[in-house]
Parts: sequence; structure tokens; C-alpha cells
Amino acid sequence: MAEHAWILAAVPGIAFIVMAALGRNLPRQGDWLAVLCATSIFGLFFAVLANFLNLGEAAWPVLNSIEWTAIGDFHLRMGIAVDQITIVMLAVITTVALMVNIFSVGYMKGEPRYWWYFAVLQLFVASMLMLVLADNLLLLYVAWELVGLSSFLLIGHYWERRSAVEAAKKAFITTRVGDVGLLIGIILFWEATGTFNILDIIHYVEEGAIGDTRLFVTMMFILLGAMGKSAQLPFHVWLPDAMEGPTPVSALIHAATMVVAGVYLVARMLPVFEAAGALDVVLVIGLLTALFSGVVAFAQTDIKKVLAYSTVSQLGFMFVALGAGYASAGMFHLFTHAFFKALLFLGAGSVIIGTHHHQEMGQLGGLWRKMPITAGTFLIGSLALAGLFPLAGFWSKDEILHAVEGQGTFFFFLISIAAIMTAFYTARLFVRTFLGKPRDEEVASHTRETGPVMTLPLVFLAFMSIVAGFFIFHDFGSAFGFPGGFSEFVFLHYPHAFHVDWGLVGLSTALFVIGTFGGAWFYWNGRLDRSTVMAEWQPKVYEMVQRKFYFDDLYQFLIDRVVLGFSYLVSWFDRFAVNDTGVDGSATMTGYAGFLLKHLQTGRVPNYAMAIAAGVVALTLLSLAVGS
Amino acid sequence: MVPMENYLVLSGIIFSLGVYGVLARRNAVLVLMSVELMLNAVSLNFVAFSAYRIPSSADATGIIFAVFVIAVAAAEVGLALAIVIRLFRNRSTANVDEAATMRW
Amino acid sequence: MTTEVLWWIFAVAIVAVSAGVVFARTVIHSAIFLILSLAGVGAMYLFLTIEFIALVQFLIYGGAVTVLILLALMLTRMGIAGRPEPTTGVQAPFGALVAAGLMATLIGVAVATAWPGNLGDTAVAVSIETIGEELFEDFGAPFMITAALLLVAFIGAIVIARQEDED
Repeated sequence: MAEHAWILAAVPGIAFIVMAALGRNLPRQGDWLAVLCATSIFGLFFAVLANFLNLGEAAWPVLNSIEWTAIGDFHLRMGIAVDQITIVMLAVITTVALMVNIFSVGYMKGEPRYWWYFAVLQLFVASMLMLVLADNLLLLYVAWELVGLSSFLLIGHYWERRSAVEAAKKAFITTRVGDVGLLIGIILFWEATGTFNILDIIHYVEEGAIGDTRLFVTMMFILLGAMGKSAQLPFHVWLPDAMEGPTPVSALIHAATMVVAGVYLVARMLPVFEAAGALDVVLVIGLLTALFSGVVAFAQTDIKKVLAYSTVSQLGFMFVALGAGYASAGMFHLFTHAFFKALLFLGAGSVIIGTHHHQEMGQLGGLWRKMPITAGTFLIGSLALAGLFPLAGFWSKDEILHAVEGQGTFFFFLISIAAIMTAFYTARLFVRTFLGKPRDEEVASHTRETGPVMTLPLVFLAFMSIVAGFFIFHDFGSAFGFPGGFSEFVFLHYPHAFHVDWGLVGLSTALFVIGTFGGAWFYWNGRLDRSTVMAEWQPKVYEMVQRKFYFDDLYQFLIDRVVLGFSYLVSWFDRFAVNDTGVDGSATMTGYAGFLLKHLQTGRVPNYAMAIAAGVVALTLLSLAVGS
Repeated sequence: MVPMENYLVLSGIIFSLGVYGVLARRNAVLVLMSVELMLNAVSLNFVAFSAYRIPSSADATGIIFAVFVIAVAAAEVGLALAIVIRLFRNRSTANVDEAATMRW
Repeated sequence: MTTEVLWWIFAVAIVAVSAGVVFARTVIHSAIFLILSLAGVGAMYLFLTIEFIALVQFLIYGGAVTVLILLALMLTRMGIAGRPEPTTGVQAPFGALVAAGLMATLIGVAVATAWPGNLGDTAVAVSIETIGEELFEDFGAPFMITAALLLVAFIGAIVIARQEDED
């Protein structure tokens, strides 16, 4: 089954075609088909997993490919490669996709283009699975663009809203900048090694087939693609805006799966990054992103925006782990983060539905009385994100701290700060949304708990947020048939068993306590808005943070002045040189020449016959003259 | 015996006369007759080549061509005369230089 | 020797009547000259000892086609009209020039070219069996297509020439 894992991608692909063609006319607009599809790939994943584990370590990675085309000596093979990283990604994608599909049935009820939403969701799942299954960079790039397209379509689902259109455009264009880098990187690899196959490329690089400088440049381009998709500084601007899309989409695409594609790519190519000496770049970018978006998350007032910046920050954590050379730590955080961040986003979605589309924290507060299940699961998700022992986030953050330990005190200090900030803004989010007294009585009076179709996925994800972290333990992994704990399953060079480092646990817990209680104390009182205090105390700093350190303004300025200025020049050239002179000019010339030459046309057949005969004679004489 | 060049020269003369007729004549039926002359010249050419090619060969391609030329000429003459009759009925003339609608 | 003399007589006669076709003042004369010219070419086929083509020439050209042309002349009342019209157009001199150039080219090429292959001075008789076999075996498809073409032309001629009530 593992070598036929492509079926996982094929099922939602077919579902997309069926739903796009017939969706509107199916009973219930085909949402049952979407859930059925998500359930079946969830089931199929376990078939793949069981087979994969049965085959044993010697058979990994499981390969299966066909010859796509042959041009001369160049044989292009397309296929799948299933290894440990792929299995982790498959687990995340299929689980979260199932939860999100079920949740969406409740969340999207009565929304416009219900059928189209579910169809594109299937397209996304299909392309995301293709992305992680691909054994070569070309197929990966195709899937990479397809997930970008699905993301674009889903962010712009409410295209009647101008902001949604702008956000979709921004996401598409920003990631495209990175994608071009990725494409250049792929081409450079192909030029150097003559293959697109990822394993072959890693093999060539380890043999030293590519020169140092060239390899470094290539990896920078690949990293550009990864940064664009995973919203790393300075490409992070699109992700918060992508919250314009329906909330379950934010949970699936912009928290759990698509945005971690960059992390996946870096993890997949980690040996090459290491050989190129590019790990430090990854580390620094990740660290800057984690700190920067942690700070920005303080000043956000929209639930989803806070979560979005939190996601950017956590992606930074993953990059940090990878940059430190620890594939297992990065992938483990990806794994656990997918569950609790999807939970938090779905919880936010539940809040939005329960309060009839209010998502500004200034209008919420005290929701735990009205929405106990949402509040409970949200609390579990928040604590997992903040890193409470022994929830999932604790173990993965512990791994990252452990990984950074070797990189020097300075980095360790900074990442600890970022961890405190995570706990702090998470506490702020929870306190201001669920605790205290309602700030807006009218909103509160309408609020009620959402139905089971939405709360059940929350409960399941909350369960996962608690237990997912235990996969780090050798005994827990073995019980499920894995060769051991997570770090014995996914690793770069050699497996290492996890041992609890009590010192680190203590430090980690201290970070959690400082952050959470700091945040909780700061925002506990529902009446006093401490962010207002902050705004009065240091208005300039507050404004800078709230405006996201002027990144958007800077980009807007660059687009307005540089891009639009240049495009004005180009359009001027196009209008005058190309259009008026070239296209219209030649047309006018042709027309004028025709006006003059039409008098040659007498309309009398004998004249034409005469011309033909004279032409024949002339041509014959000419050919005789030339031929002899 | 007469060498092949004689036939070719004769065919060339007939063909040129036909061309002159097509170019000079006004009446559509006369133009058509000139076309028939040209076709005949071509036929004669084909047959002459066929007859003078390698001796004792069983190849008759040139003759077959002549047969087809005659068949196509018959079809052409039938259609062209129908068009001439139509032209005459619509415009009360069969002069080709008076049908001058093929222009701007 | 006799054949050659006869050939030259026929050749000169054919050129003369062909010139008559294109130079005659009245349409009927042209038509009669055309019949003679076609018959002369048929005679040329006899000189080439290909009787089959000669026969086809006499039957189809000399018979059917000329009858058709005469019929068209009657229907369009050419030459019966009282006022004699000039039968040559204004571009006749230019046409003569082009035709003369063409004639010179053709004759020059025919004489000057060294024709390839083993071309003797004697025409080779091709038997009617050979023609039949070639026509129905090697050229079976063109033969059938030509048959279809004739049918289509036949129907087309009827449609075009039909008297319409509306007109």
C-alpha cells in the first residue's frame, strides 16, 4: 500500500473534479462527498502507515515512479517517495483535513458558493498530498503552485468583499516572489546534476558534485521559496491578511498544512542545506520571524490576526530548529503545532459563528459561560501553544530549546524570549475572549454554543493536542508500531532516543509560567483595557507594533513608487512605441497602402488572367535564367 | 519518323494560341473554347511523352493522364457553360469584361 | 516518308484552325474551327499509334463537348443579334505579347532541353490492355474520384443553369 500512496492524492483530486462539475446539483451541494472523501483518505492513511511500518526500516524510503517522458538521453521520471517525513506530513494533512471538512459543514452553512468551497478544499488536499508525496522537485513545484492556487481561491472566497480580493491577491503575489526563487533553485539543481529527483540530488550533493558557492546560491533560492510559503520574514505580510478567508480554511491551509510546506521543504532538503552551510541563514531568519511576529501579536485585536501572527511565530520556531540542524525537532513541532493551531483556529471559527460574526476582542469577553465546550477546548489549545507540561506544545518546544542549546547562549536567550512572548499573547487572547465580563452586552445576548458538527472536531483536536506530544517517548511510539519515539523515527543523520532533561523542563515551565501569568495578570481585569494603557504610556512604540513595524507600509510604498513608477514607464512605452507605432502604425500603413493599391483591382476577369499568364511567363524565364 | 520535339513544339503553339484567346476574347463562350485548346495541347504533350518513353515498356501513365484531362475538361465545360448561361440570363450579356463586380 | 509528309500537313492544318478559333470574327466560325482543331489533335494521337485516346478524343471532344458549346451559343443567342459586336477586348495586344512570349519560351524549352531517358525517334505502341490495367488498377482511386467529380459537376450545372421562378 505504501508504494501506492498516490491514491491518497488521487481520491480528493477526483472528488474535486466531480464536485466542481456537479457540486451545485448534488444533494446538499455535495458536502457529504467532501466529508466522505476526507474520511476515506484518513482511513487510507492508516493503511499506508501500517504497510510502511511493516516493510521495516530497510525498505525506507518506499519509492514508486513511472517514466513520464524521454527526450534523447534525458529521462524524466515522476513518482512518489514515502519516507518518515512524508508519513508525518500525511498524518497531519489527513487528520486536520478530516476535522476541517466536518467543521466546515457547520461553519459554512448557508454561505454563498457552498459547493465551490468544498470543491476547492478537495483540490487543496489533493495538491498538498501530492506536494509531500512527490519524489522530484518538478512535481513538487507543480503541487506547490496548486496549493498556492487553492489558497488564493479560498482566501478570496467572499470575493464580493474588496478586502478579501486584496488579501487573495496579496497572498498570491507575495508567495509568487518566493516561488520564482524556488523555480530558479530547481533549474540550478537540474543544470548541475541533470535530475529533478530529490534523493538523487541529495546523493550528488553529498558526493560533492556541486561547487560550494554555487550550492550556497542554489540553496538561497530554494530557501526563498520556503520562506514565501511559510511566511518567514520578510514575506510574512500575506499570512495575516489571508485571514479574510473562511476560518476553517485558515485552520487547514494557513495554520496546519500549506504554510508548513516551506518547513517541509527545508526539512526534506536539510542534508543539502547542511552541505551548503546555509543552516545559519535558516536559523537567523527563523529567530527573527519568531521574535518579530511574537511582538506584533501583542497589539492585534482581532482573534484571527493574533492567531495568524502566532502561526508566523511558530513557523519561525520550526525554522530555528531546522537551522540548528535538528530535523526531528522541527518536524515534531510541525506535527504538534498542526493540531493545536488547527484547534485554536477552529475554536475561533466557533466563536465567530456563536457570536454571529464578531471577532474583535474588544467586543467579546466572558464567553466561557455561553460557550463552555469551545472555551474548554480553546483553553487546552492555548495551554498547548503556551507550552504547559505535559501538553503537546511543551514537548515540541522542549525539543527546540534542546536543539538551540548547542548554538550558543545568545540564540538560546532569544528563543526563550520568544517562548515567553508566545505564552504571553496566548494568555492575552484567551483572557480577553473568554474570561472577564462581556464588553458588548448585545453581542453577548445573542451568543450561544455551536452545534456538535463543530464542537466534535474541537474535542478531537483537543484530545490530539494533549496526546500528540507523547510520541516523543520511546515506549509510546513503540506501542503504535513505530521504531521508537519521534526523534528515533524522523532524524537527519542518526536516531536519538528522547531523554527528559529535567533542567530544561524546569526552564521551559518557568518560561510558561512567566509568560502565561504575566499575560493573565496584565489582562485579567475585563474593564480596564491594558492595551489602551500601553497605547497612552508609549504611543509611538504602540503604534509601531500595531502597524506591524511598518512592513506593510514599506511594501506599499515600494509598490506605489518603484513598481508602479516602473510599470508607468513600461505602459508608456507600450502605448506609444508598441501600440501606436508598432501595432496601430502597421495597421494604418496597411490600410493606407490598400487604399492606394485598390485601384489596381479592376474587377475584370481578363485582367486577372492576363496578370497570371504574364506572371507565369516571367517566372519561367526567371527560373531558366537562374537555373542555367 | 517524327521526333518527339515536333509534338512538343506543336503543343506549345496550340497552348499559346489558347492563352491568347483567353486573354483577348470578350465572349465567355469563346474564352471557354480557348481553354479547351489549352487543355488539348497539354493532353497532346502527355501522350507524346508517354509514347516516346523507354521502348517496350508497359507503362501508360501519360495516356492515363490524357484520359483524366479529357474527363475533367468535360466536367469543366459543363459547369462553365451553365455559369455562362446564368450570367447571360442575369446581365443579358456574355461578355466577360462587362462583369466587373469583383472589386472594391 | 509518307507519314512524315502527312504529319507536317496535319500539323500545319492544326495550327491554322487553332488560330482560326482565336481569330475568327464570328462565334459560330470559331466553334467550327474548334471542332476541326480537336479532330486534328485526335489525328495526332493516331500518328502516335494510340488509337484508344484518339477514339476518346473524337467521341468526347469532337462529339459531346462541341455539341454542348454550340448549344450554349444558341441559348445565349451569340451572333444572331443584329448589331455586330467586337469579339476581342481592349487588352488583346497585350495578350498577344504575353502569348508570343509564352510560345517562344515553350518552343525554346522543348527544343533546347535534353530530354532524359532512352527516348528513341519512334513512338512505342501501348496496347489497350495496358491502358485498361493501369487505369483500373494503379489509378483505380483517381478514376472513381473523377467519376464522382463528373456527377457533382453534372448536378451543379443543372442547379446553376435552372430557370428560377423568382427571377
